[in-house]
Amino acid sequence: MRKYWQIAKGRMQENTAYSAWYWAGTASAVMRLLIIYFFWQAVYANQTTIQNINLETMLTYIVIAMLLQGFVGGVGNELAENIKDGQVAIELMRPYDMIFKMFAVDIGGKIMYLIQGTIPMLLIAYFFMDISFPKSPETILLFGVSALAGIWIGTFFDFLVGVLAFWTVNVWGVRVLKESLITFFSGALVPITLFPDWLRTITEFLPFQAMVYLPVSIFSGLISGTEAYMALGVQLFWLVSLYVLVRFIWSQAIKQITIFGG
Amino acid sequence: MRRYTRLYWEFAKSHMKVMMEYRIDFLIGVASVMLEQFASIFFVKVVFDHIEQINGWSFYEILFIYGIAATGRSIHQIFFDNLWTLGWQYIRPGKLDRLLIRPVNPLFHVVADRLHQDGFGQLIIGLIILGTAIPQLDLVWGAAEIAMLVIMIISSGLIFVAINLFFATFSFWMIDSLPIVWAVFNLSDFARYPLTIYHKGIRMFLTWIIPYGFTAFYPAAYFIDKSGYKEFALWTPVAAIVCCVLAYAFWNRGLKAFASTGS
Repeated sequence: MRKYWQIAKGRMQENTAYSAWYWAGTASAVMRLLIIYFFWQAVYANQTTIQNINLETMLTYIVIAMLLQGFVGGVGNELAENIKDGQVAIELMRPYDMIFKMFAVDIGGKIMYLIQGTIPMLLIAYFFMDISFPKSPETILLFGVSALAGIWIGTFFDFLVGVLAFWTVNVWGVRVLKESLITFFSGALVPITLFPDWLRTITEFLPFQAMVYLPVSIFSGLISGTEAYMALGVQLFWLVSLYVLVRFIWSQAIKQITIFGG
Repeated sequence: MRRYTRLYWEFAKSHMKVMMEYRIDFLIGVASVMLEQFASIFFVKVVFDHIEQINGWSFYEILFIYGIAATGRSIHQIFFDNLWTLGWQYIRPGKLDRLLIRPVNPLFHVVADRLHQDGFGQLIIGLIILGTAIPQLDLVWGAAEIAMLVIMIISSGLIFVAINLFFATFSFWMIDSLPIVWAVFNLSDFARYPLTIYHKGIRMFLTWIIPYGFTAFYPAAYFIDKSGYKEFALWTPVAAIVCCVLAYAFWNRGLKAFASTGS
């Protein structure tokens, strides 16, 4: 009897190893929602608007931004690991474009994350936090396009950071650095309109706001009409520029591998 | 005790050598942690540009809470960071079995195996935050207050360590409890703000169950009279000691359970 119990226990351990991360992620996301909720409630305790944004719009912005930020990462970590352990040399010999292969893996992961992680959180936020959804179908469509563009800009940027592993061993440090930059400048924590003027000007010239701030502003109604289309234009610009940069740096990096004999 | 001090010194010396070998990476690590902290403070600053106070707490008072948490955490991050890796670095690859046959306390060995460079960034930023907040706080600072601040910060650090140790110990049964450790650690984000803004249930939870409240809010409340928690805050060092004792007892239990199932 005992050996069969051991076998059953082995399977249980295996299954928990996979699902533990899922539940840990869910628990952490719920905690963040709670912090956001109580923090902003306290902030709005003595006023009805901040920069013409009311509590409902603010909560909507912050929650959607938090959820969207979960997608702006990408293949950077995996790429960095591959570079570290030399796997990249083998990958390059395989009959596919390594960049596209990595993006494909990433898309698969993101679709699962959308179903398992984002949608449950969105429902929780909708039912318990009074966030508001856009009314017009046009806005929803614009948001969809803008969010996709933002996610790809984030993915390209992440890829560029991952390539840095050719030059540094502290992959963890670079990752934290990247994440702080994105959190800081993308508007994931607070709408960029609340920034002091000088900083807002700097932010407008960086690609980060195109990842989170622009799509989420469309969703929550901070940006509408012509401005929304202009936002899409800005995103398109970054999308193309970063893609070109990804291609260029990647070809340089590959050259380096070939030179050092891989 | 003396033997352990000497041993730790030997371990630390070799870590230092490694750190100096990869100097750029050391700097990247320090800078990244500093930037991470800076981003969250900046967030609070931006919000406070538009309002006066949150629940009666001014910007510098909240900064003070932050500073205590950041400095306390640096103790944990510099010296005890290896606890994170118990599952995947020690138990899964069987490295722990090797430690167990050595004539040193296994917990000491795991802890001494790493001195985390990025924690120094945390320490620097923590001190900078405290240095910025304290002069703005309209407090009288004497030797007694400074001593109390140091005690509070050390207690805060020990609570971070104890909570991580407690949940890392689950690895003995489930091989790697990193997801749990990580999820619980995220709770410490609550402690960045005055606990009074939260629902009573959350406040109780962070005081009595997972006592992250003692890593920042209560220690800070000791120095700020109007908080109404001045007396209660005196329990912080006690809470730290109780947490450490409990976590260590649990670790010992886990170790026993692990050894008995061992190969």
